[in-house]
Amino acid sequence: MGFGLDLASKRIKDQIYGEVTDEFLELLLKGMDLAFFFSGGYRKNIEGFKGRYLFRTADNMVTASAIFQDGDMQVRENGIKDWDVMVTFKNAAALRSFLFSKDQDILNSILANEVEVDGNLNYIYKFGFLAKDLGRRLGVI
Amino acid sequence: MPDITLSDLSLKDCNLTKRVLNLKDAYFKAMSEICVERPRLVTNFSLQNGLLNKDKITILEKARTYRYVLENRTPVIWNGKSFMKVMIPFTFNDNSLFAGSTTSKFKGVPLYPEFLALSLWPELWTIRNRKKNPFYISDDEANELNYKIFPHWVDNSISELTRKKMYRENLTKYGKVKYAPEMKLLERLVFFLASKPNCISHTIPDFSKAINLGLRAVINDAIARGNAASDASQKEFYSAIAEALEGVISYSKNLAKKAKQMADSEPDPVRKKELLDIYTINSHVPEFPARSFREGLTTIWICWTALHIENPNVGLSLGRLDQVLNNLYHNDITNKVITIEQAIELISCLWLKIGDHVPTIPEAGEQLFGGTGSNQAITIGGVDMNGNDAVNDLTYVMLRATELMRLRDPNLNARYYAGVNSKAYLKRICEVNVTTGATPAIHNDKAVIRALTSKGETIEQARDYGVIGCVEPCSSGRTYGHTGAILFNLTSALELTLYNGRHRHTGMDLLISKETGDPVSFKSFEDFQNAFKTQALWLVDQATALNNSLGRTHQDFYPTPTLSALFEGPMDKGKDLIQGGAVINSSGATIIGLADVADSLSAIQKVIFEEKACSFKELLTAIGKNFVGYEALQKRLMNPEKTPKYGNDDPAADANVTWIIRLMDKAFGDKENYRGGRYRVGYWTMTNHAGFGRLMKALPSGRKDRENFTSGITPVSGITPALTKTINSVAKQPPECVSNGAAFNLKYTPEITTPEKRDAMLTNFAASVEGCFDYAGSGTGAMEIQFNVTTHDTFVDAVAYPEKYPELLVRVSGYTAYFKDLNPQMQKEIIDRTEYQLSTGKYVCYEPFPLPK
Repeated sequence: MGFGLDLASKRIKDQIYGEVTDEFLELLLKGMDLAFFFSGGYRKNIEGFKGRYLFRTADNMVTASAIFQDGDMQVRENGIKDWDVMVTFKNAAALRSFLFSKDQDILNSILANEVEVDGNLNYIYKFGFLAKDLGRRLGVI
Repeated sequence: MPDITLSDLSLKDCNLTKRVLNLKDAYFKAMSEICVERPRLVTNFSLQNGLLNKDKITILEKARTYRYVLENRTPVIWNGKSFMKVMIPFTFNDNSLFAGSTTSKFKGVPLYPEFLALSLWPELWTIRNRKKNPFYISDDEANELNYKIFPHWVDNSISELTRKKMYRENLTKYGKVKYAPEMKLLERLVFFLASKPNCISHTIPDFSKAINLGLRAVINDAIARGNAASDASQKEFYSAIAEALEGVISYSKNLAKKAKQMADSEPDPVRKKELLDIYTINSHVPEFPARSFREGLTTIWICWTALHIENPNVGLSLGRLDQVLNNLYHNDITNKVITIEQAIELISCLWLKIGDHVPTIPEAGEQLFGGTGSNQAITIGGVDMNGNDAVNDLTYVMLRATELMRLRDPNLNARYYAGVNSKAYLKRICEVNVTTGATPAIHNDKAVIRALTSKGETIEQARDYGVIGCVEPCSSGRTYGHTGAILFNLTSALELTLYNGRHRHTGMDLLISKETGDPVSFKSFEDFQNAFKTQALWLVDQATALNNSLGRTHQDFYPTPTLSALFEGPMDKGKDLIQGGAVINSSGATIIGLADVADSLSAIQKVIFEEKACSFKELLTAIGKNFVGYEALQKRLMNPEKTPKYGNDDPAADANVTWIIRLMDKAFGDKENYRGGRYRVGYWTMTNHAGFGRLMKALPSGRKDRENFTSGITPVSGITPALTKTINSVAKQPPECVSNGAAFNLKYTPEITTPEKRDAMLTNFAASVEGCFDYAGSGTGAMEIQFNVTTHDTFVDAVAYPEKYPELLVRVSGYTAYFKDLNPQMQKEIIDRTEYQLSTGKYVCYEPFPLPK
């Protein structure tokens, strides 16, 4: 893996293990994008996969989109209309818990009503795998 | 009266054989393993035959899919290997008397990508190590699911096909994009759960045709009916029946062939003979009629595995096995083909086989609702279709096998008809409960038959009921009831009433239902009752609308030819079960939070409107603050001497329970399901009273934030000191409004330190059941009663040291479970249940177990 990914991986690790900031989503999506570029094994996950994801906070202060198509991932810093799944989250910590759950975290995010998913849930399961697979490749899960 | 030939009903001289002990040891040692064989075969066939991304899948296409899977799946004779916890492989001497398996693993987790298997996707790398109920999966298998199987089902699972359809319909209807409000309510988790995204199951097949006629005769019948039919859809239906059953026969023959191959190279003469026996039996059944008890059991087992290739196992139940198999058993015993010990060995081997798989549950599901098995119920005893005593020798043989095995699955249910079944039988059922600590559940034939006939079943159909899943009664093999279709959180209806259509869990800014007024402005208790009724009916509308929508997706994409072949009705109507082919069609809802809501209504009635001891505003403030600063009020609300509480034979409190039960029966009963049948209502909660409890805030009953709700139809724990009064409160509820079953949980202190005490306990135990089943001499009473008979100290110790209690069996609310598998919240609920000493009839006081963080 390249230098860019090494740098990104360190920052992602810091976010997963340490204090989570508003940059979490951006870092995660960009980290995924880089990993798809550098790692054939990781890229295999999105061969033939089409999916449009919209991530946003309820107040729309944070919005990002991820579009998977033709074995590639595009990250946008704005919303898209025709999403397959939309994830509305309270804050970066809630999103981190939701995606990298261990033990009680998924439950706590549900309990606290901190994450809401609209649309096809199978896309979020797929995204959950991509996030955890990245974590696994980075040695954080 | 059937002849009971046994001199000792307890069969205490019959014990488990070495074979069964070894298999049982391996069963408890083995870790559950994810099996990818079924999803691989289904995906491959679907891709090769263009069955994905279609507008509809026909029954014949489905039948061909299942035939392909059955013909190509691994014929497992003896597995002999598995993984222990922490993933250490081990081997054992697998010499079960039954060949075949639900999955290719010894204890497997079957996956159904058509349903919810994709929810495991995020966990593929972590599921081996998760804290509660981990599943083993190899890296290769995880990769296969990730790359080759799951991607094809992203847009093709039942729930997503339903969502897509709802989006389409609502765009036309309301002009709204991506609008599926009922689905959204489901996904908010606190209102109701629907089980159709995961299965239909929850019914009882009719095995008698397979056992007595053989599947070849059913195929021939289907071909003849198909030839005679003029309707194209009927012709297709009959072709599908033949196709699916050919698959079942092929699977059994593949097992026979494999057994023969193994026998040919087996040097040990004992094992060689056992393999040749399997070869002989599986070559014959289920294609042809069973000739022996063992062939009868094998027929059921092979059909059982085939049914689970078709549909996930969530409460698919085996019915009245002591009736279906009695002739074969009786003949074998009379002709000295087998001994009673051998019959128990056969039953024990079959029951281990029945438990050879566990349901697919993702991590969040484990945390909220975990610990369940597949809830495969077996029914024994009661009366036959003519009202005569149906208890026979085989009933007692099955009771002994249950007593010796102490397994979670199958879930044994004993029927009792007072005055027809003997008191010795009742006492024996009670004795098995004391020995096992949790099984069998006991069903009141008089109440159940009354409930079923009130829903239009004939007296003969009602008398032939079997128990499904947890406690739900349905006429065996002829009612397609999907009894677990809707799990309805009644406390959310209360919440919407208290907060004028809003819910604290989803936020006070969001109007969920309709505004029924601020309760602070209500002038009378009747005002509150009316508002509650409006909210409850609204929620029933949403839940049934979603269930019907999901049902229509099943009709378009998930016909069930194998189950239809083993059922009364579809062959005559030429119609699949999912299209309404059964003799009786219904759908089942179960209500969670009955006692908590009823006690809340009683508190509002008494404290706010009658005594005016507190204003509604103050009450809302108190529950909003989880009673912090309002401790005196909370104490008063929880005190049965100051506030009426269900379970104390208090007319006011019990009347509120009856009012709710009648309301829900009418609300659901007025709804038609997608097959033209009606909804039925029950009160059994599995682990949902703990799961929903965890999501809900404080209530007017005095219950605090996140505390468990009460199980089934049981009164709230800890506030019902007298056993007789508790029983009376439950027994007086109208059975005709509880036709989908009710779980009444009681906990008794084991008082068995001497033979005299043990005998006295059993006598009192039986008397408590009789009292419960005959309220005030009315001739009827509670629908069902189930027990935990384990000391408080044992449960507390098992929380601290689960490894010491691998087989500690508990009755949850309906089904049985291993205590160690339950989530901490559910363990607390079991520990905190009111415990009674039968010698005094009073409860034993314990401090509430701490709420897990």
